[in-house]
Amino acid sequence: MPALKPKRNYPMMDMTAMCDVAFLLLTFFILTAQFKSQDAATIETPSSISAIKVPDKDLMIISIGKDGKVYFGVDNPNTRIAMLDNISQTEGVQFTDKQKKIFSLQANFGVPIRGLSQWLQVGATTPDKLKEVVQPGIPVDSTAQNELAKWIYQARRANSGLRIAIKGDNVAKFPVFKDVMSSLQAQNINKFNLITGTEAPPQGWKAD
Amino acid sequence: MAEIAQGGGGGHGDKKVRSKKASTRVDMTPMVDLGFLLITFFILATTLSKPSSMSVAVPDKQNDTKQQETEPLKASKVLTLFLGKDNTVWALDRLAADDDKAKTDLKKVSYGQDLRGLIFQSQAQVDREHGKDDKGLSQFVCVIKPLKSSTYKNMVDALDEMAVTKSKRYALVDALTDKEKELLGDKAN
Repeated sequence: MPALKPKRNYPMMDMTAMCDVAFLLLTFFILTAQFKSQDAATIETPSSISAIKVPDKDLMIISIGKDGKVYFGVDNPNTRIAMLDNISQTEGVQFTDKQKKIFSLQANFGVPIRGLSQWLQVGATTPDKLKEVVQPGIPVDSTAQNELAKWIYQARRANSGLRIAIKGDNVAKFPVFKDVMSSLQAQNINKFNLITGTEAPPQGWKAD
Repeated sequence: MAEIAQGGGGGHGDKKVRSKKASTRVDMTPMVDLGFLLITFFILATTLSKPSSMSVAVPDKQNDTKQQETEPLKASKVLTLFLGKDNTVWALDRLAADDDKAKTDLKKVSYGQDLRGLIFQSQAQVDREHGKDDKGLSQFVCVIKPLKSSTYKNMVDALDEMAVTKSKRYALVDALTDKEKELLGDKAN
């Protein structure tokens, strides 16, 4: 019997199947992708057993950060521009087209109307720096200075079908939420959603 | 699929055809690498779980000075929850704040099972004493009063407890009456 010769060629694995799987998964992820939007602040929401999903479009989100700062955002870029135009008319603040463009790209913001132009200018000249600017939050406290109410009003003028969602951080204090709620109630908005994480209901619990 | 079968195959003795056969294999490894790299990117860049939402409806703000005539709530049907600081709840079970027993009966509970147990217990007690109303609903009412030091999470948790215990009648009230302030003392801050 002749001695076994070592095999010359390397063992080849057929990668075709693996390649198929990889691209199948890739297709799935591309199709289901909903990109994370750049938010002004990270907010960790509490969780609830509620099974109602947040609507996909026509949504206005009022966020309450952990330090009590309030941020405001509308999902549609066109609504954002229309809303900014309304604000610019009523408040007498002028914005350049470039600034409007920058504004339409922001998922949410927490800058008072007075400082808005300056903040957007940072985005227009040095776009990389925009994220680093510390946003002081939208004033909600006293009735005369309640800019959140103005934004809500102008956003609803821009798109009357907007639904309202409040996204609060776990550790945000209740009085801030109360201020936000009274800004809404002052405009006869009595129904809104609270965005929460999902948690499993206790065993044996059934929705009715 | 990667190996494209050479047609014919040729005779056994034909050396030329045999050497061609080996060269048609395409190495898929880099393509698989690329595929997984892209998958990784898409997984990291997307938000998979959509958040859920709770809907909250609050009563109309009454601007008119005219007082609405409503029947006062019987204290024996009401569980009042004061949401305090450091995740504590002060519960007043079926007692009014000006009751003599209120001071001693003010219970300190924590969120989760503790609070849920209390609500179920109070609910059962109210149902036993008062029965269902004419629409066949429980007469149990839960009043949630978040104090200044409570957090947003506390409020959501309390509202969630209402959903879990299926308490249909609940109210979110932020103002404290004088009696309640007196009862809670420094806990109210």
